[in-house]
Amino acid sequence: MSPCPQDAHCPQCPHCNGALETPLACSTCGALLSVAPETPPHLILDMELAWACADDDLQRNHRRFSRMVHPDFYATAAPAERELAEHNSALLNSAYDILADDLTRAEWLLEHLGGPTDKEERQMPQEFLMEVMDWNETLAAHACGQSSDEDLDSLRRDLHARRAAVAADLGRHLDPLPEPGAPALLEVRRLLNAARYIERSLEHAAADQA
Amino acid sequence: MAYLELNVLNNSQTPMAMGIDLGTTFSLAAVMRDGRPVILHPEGGSGSVPSVIHFPEHGPPAVGRAARDQALADPTHTVFSVKRYMGRGLADCEADRERLPYRVTETEHGVAQVDIRGKSYTPQELSALILMRVHDLGCRALGGDDVRRAVITVPAYFDDAQRQATRDAARLAGLELLRIINEPTAASLAYGLDQREDGIVAVYDLGGGTFDISILSIEDGVFRVLATAGDTRLGGDDFDALLVDLARRELAAELDEQALRDPAFLQGARLAAERCKRELSIHPQAELHISIPSSGVQWRRTVSRAEFDAWSAPLIERTLHCCAKALADAKLDAKAIDEVVLVGGSTRSPLVRSEVAKYFGRLPHTELNPDEVVALGAAIQGHILVGGTRDILLLDVTPLSLGVETMGGAISVLVPRNSTVPCSVTEGFTTYADNQTGIEFHVLQGERELAQDCRSLARFTLKGIPPMPAGMARVAVRFHLDADGVLTVKAREESTGATAEIEVQPTHGLTDAEVETMLRDSYAHAQEDFDKRRLADLRTELGVMLQATEKNLAVARAELDPESWAELETALEAARGAAESSDVLATQALRDGLERASTPLAALLMDSVAKSALRDRTLDEV
Repeated sequence: MSPCPQDAHCPQCPHCNGALETPLACSTCGALLSVAPETPPHLILDMELAWACADDDLQRNHRRFSRMVHPDFYATAAPAERELAEHNSALLNSAYDILADDLTRAEWLLEHLGGPTDKEERQMPQEFLMEVMDWNETLAAHACGQSSDEDLDSLRRDLHARRAAVAADLGRHLDPLPEPGAPALLEVRRLLNAARYIERSLEHAAADQA
Repeated sequence: MAYLELNVLNNSQTPMAMGIDLGTTFSLAAVMRDGRPVILHPEGGSGSVPSVIHFPEHGPPAVGRAARDQALADPTHTVFSVKRYMGRGLADCEADRERLPYRVTETEHGVAQVDIRGKSYTPQELSALILMRVHDLGCRALGGDDVRRAVITVPAYFDDAQRQATRDAARLAGLELLRIINEPTAASLAYGLDQREDGIVAVYDLGGGTFDISILSIEDGVFRVLATAGDTRLGGDDFDALLVDLARRELAAELDEQALRDPAFLQGARLAAERCKRELSIHPQAELHISIPSSGVQWRRTVSRAEFDAWSAPLIERTLHCCAKALADAKLDAKAIDEVVLVGGSTRSPLVRSEVAKYFGRLPHTELNPDEVVALGAAIQGHILVGGTRDILLLDVTPLSLGVETMGGAISVLVPRNSTVPCSVTEGFTTYADNQTGIEFHVLQGERELAQDCRSLARFTLKGIPPMPAGMARVAVRFHLDADGVLTVKAREESTGATAEIEVQPTHGLTDAEVETMLRDSYAHAQEDFDKRRLADLRTELGVMLQATEKNLAVARAELDPESWAELETALEAARGAAESSDVLATQALRDGLERASTPLAALLMDSVAKSALRDRTLDEV
């Protein structure tokens, strides 16, 4: 652990004053710490507040912090400590889930920057409307046995490709991070609305196959 | 040998925890010893305990091998495959009922139970009996150490109700349950220890009654489950059922409907099917031989592996669909899998092996005994939990999405499936009417969009919301899935800070109060069983004493002093009436009384025996 730079505000452990990598626990003295539930995911996982999120770093930090807070290491501890381990571990896991996936990370960044919610802005990019109808048709046809498993497979490939394309578009709007309230956020919302359709269609395709 | 191992164990400083694989067809235990997991077995025994319970007419139930041996002779009092009914209701058992030789009913709270000898047993209580037996044998294998701490494995695809039921069973068995872990994950631990290599692993676990597929990444000693899928009602039992159905089909011409439903026939056919299936894993053909002495049914049929493979193909197809689902959720394709591990007795089937190899495009690992690998993994996890090592960490997921029912009968997902546990979500609720002081919500688990198609876990009632206009109350409800994958719910009214009280009504589970009652009852029954056995012993002893005394009555009357004779006569009189008494203490008093009163007679007889023995001998011969 590098020492805290003099000019930066570095959180410290209330027990041993060691510099904290995560607000969940102290890597110096090992103490579990009490954390506010709304602590942003990037702070919990010691990642930058940015669209880019290196998967290797994210996974490494998640593994390392899991070793500090996971309830498995507190199985025979006092009930209060066990409870705190459960709690902090849950915070760590939801922070990881938010950052690990492009779409949930974009959703969180959008909210963080004060962008429109899915209730305030329901539209999606025009070109998606036709596509959504096509997808639904293929799914409906397959459900009543009028299209082949190959059709379903090709639909699934299309959907995955579209999902990747949406993620790339999101990156264009979110990297670098726009100012809070910037017009780009409206586009981000619309892309995320489209992404939700893609996800739902993928779910349907998977359910249909099974 | 056993003592040597015992000494090593007693020298180790780390406390121990038992890993228990509570299986559909058999259960077994393991512990960590000298840095390696080992199966606990009594000297010369295999350590695996058939998950079978027999209720004899008198005395306590038998569990394990002794119980399984009763299956044919006493089918209606021998219970199998309890695990299939954990956390389930009567409606869930419908498909199995025709094959079950005993009656299945339901408690008022929708918990399935079996009726045996006029008593009802929930799967939780029955599983507790199995756990106690496995634990007891395990402790004996450890030379008598009472290891109460335990890790119990469950299928990865077990839902909250099934996990909760497993927890309740552990509590009823008097175990300190440190953790519930998923069977495929446990298996990966056992393999991971051997291999020590990073990569992506698929664990294909086809057990006696359940199927799981888990995809894991192993890196730096962290076993992270990426996705899991499965079917809690698909396993070896279903392969047996194919052969039972064959017998029923082909015997339909010879036997009437009643004979085909005869409990002895059903148990006999089941056991024969299991034998035949095992044979078919080794030989190209095997004989299905059903022999029921009680009804004179004798039936033989040669089954070829090709036939059996054709019948079982759809079952294997179902497992491969699960594999596809798990891979999709892990966002991987089959080519990305570095290693495939086979777990569960049913993976001995050559067809299963070849189909899995074909699907993943690689030869699966079968080095470890598929019946033991889960218990071994549970022992490793137990070692971690008691602080034995920090090198390894399991990060597991919840197999099913968790949600609440919305106004329109749809499900609103709070925790998507394959989220890493522990995890929590806080959701806001409000009131719909003025001065409404309670809110009810319905928690569900499943992947379907309508609440009615998902599994109902519980209904929660929030109480004690301060009276205020509709929509003003802000109740924050925190849903927490703990490391066992079991749900807890907490609520707080945010405008006043009042902690709302929550009443839980599990859909197919036991309430805390019910578990308490069962615990009390089981203690009471333990006493009752003990008393029954003691009473039987006392009566036998009394019988022997009475017989011996009465045989020597003439001697007694002639040679005893009048006082001793009177006392003996009174004691004899009282003891003759003891056969009717069911009071242990009274019977004990009678036995003690007769013993005391007959002491002078015994002394007399001893003297005469001694005299007669010495009669023909000179003193120096003695």
